[in-house]
Amino acid sequence: MRSFLHINIKGRILWGMCAAIIMAIIITCCSLINFTVDQPDTAVVGANTTIKVQFTYHNIYQSKTQSLVFGFLAPKGWATAQNAKITYTSTATSGIGNMKLMDPAAIEPQSNGLSWSAAMKKKFGIGGNLIDDMEWVVYQSDVSVVTSNGGDISVKLTIDMKMGADGNNTLCKLGYAVAETSDGLHDPDGSIDKDPGVKYEYFAEMITPCFQLTGGPGDIVDFCNPQLTSYDPPKALDNDFITITYDGTVADTDLKNPAAVYLCATGNTADGKSITVCEQTAKTKLTQTTSNSNRYKITIWPRKFFGITDAQTLTNMTYYITDATGNIKVGYGNTASPFTYTFKCK
Amino acid sequence: MKQLYKMNRITWLLVLIAVMTFASCKVERLTPVAESTKDISGDWTVISATRNGTDLMSIVDFSQFKVSFKDGKYTLINKLPFLVSNDGAYSFDDPQYPFKISFTPTGKTAVATAFTYPIVNGIRQLTLTFSPGCPGNTYVYTFKKAN
Repeated sequence: MRSFLHINIKGRILWGMCAAIIMAIIITCCSLINFTVDQPDTAVVGANTTIKVQFTYHNIYQSKTQSLVFGFLAPKGWATAQNAKITYTSTATSGIGNMKLMDPAAIEPQSNGLSWSAAMKKKFGIGGNLIDDMEWVVYQSDVSVVTSNGGDISVKLTIDMKMGADGNNTLCKLGYAVAETSDGLHDPDGSIDKDPGVKYEYFAEMITPCFQLTGGPGDIVDFCNPQLTSYDPPKALDNDFITITYDGTVADTDLKNPAAVYLCATGNTADGKSITVCEQTAKTKLTQTTSNSNRYKITIWPRKFFGITDAQTLTNMTYYITDATGNIKVGYGNTASPFTYTFKCK
Repeated sequence: MKQLYKMNRITWLLVLIAVMTFASCKVERLTPVAESTKDISGDWTVISATRNGTDLMSIVDFSQFKVSFKDGKYTLINKLPFLVSNDGAYSFDDPQYPFKISFTPTGKTAVATAFTYPIVNGIRQLTLTFSPGCPGNTYVYTFKKAN
């Protein structure tokens, strides 16, 4: 009996400790539920577009004062920070509030010193987009709100934005993330389920299907679909090194996995000159990344490649990918039209 | 009495040793060594290069590119994208503790960039960070003196 009692007491301590640990985990927990995004499928470059985002914070344990955090993933060329206005209404605040840009020096609490924008990129990536020219633009509410024990705060965000500041006709996947300032992008531990099948999360993220922006004067930039050719860096001038990758696996072209392919390009200068470099030599050769990969790369310095003078600048180049004879040419979208690369930074 | 005399001799000997020991010490007067002026004269070749953090050495031939510094002037040999495109003059913000190096192409305005000058494995290196094209594209070249 004594022995039984002894064990019983130990058990109580154990249970007490377990409860304390669970409470400690729950203390900072604020879950996000009912996360919805109402976004159009298409928009026109430069026209005002409205997106509505709704979600509910469900606080589980301790009352806390914290700010709402919202992240928006969009192409860098849209300059979201300058072109978007985000307002909110919530059940914890009166009237319409403004979401203000997160201080770039503010540290996301779970990321060991990263800014909020960098932390979101690390955690969520670029939302399945294929060109790494996207950015997470992060906002926080202009006032802090008190989340009470067990209380819900429903939030409605309205994003008013002129999309496509770079003028490009764009296909991309937009991303949305919500969190709050106190525990940031805390990893969900799955141990604090509300109802069967419902997990409490510390943040929520959503990537929407491919969104299309049309009607702009710029290039077609497709973040969603694999392209026959891609560029690193995505934006460059003629005095940058540009790596062009040709991916023969994207379409069934006339180039049947040769050992090497070649660039046949025309550079157009600001002073109206056209310089064509269409030869099958080491200068224009794209080497296969690995044997039989059907993927080829070349890195060029356009100023030297086209041999322009110090006084000239290149505005764009058009090109085909050819075989070793120069007779088989592959163009944009596997058509007879050339690929176009515009030298610009935005 | 004889014992006392012995003691005295030992005591005197000890005192003598102590005096000699202390007398042998001398206050050393340290004068600070002046930091040498950074002299980067000579031809420098690229030993590592990155574009936005991606290695360029394996995809671009840097072997012929050199920057030659002499008497406050620099010359670009077999040009590649660099901080400046034309030859000219260079200067440091501080000759002894330089943090920045300025390149002034002849007839143009000066361009300055961060400058580090570490010794790695006994070899003096020169690292420059710059954007020759779009401001968003950052290049880091590390040079060593050509033999």
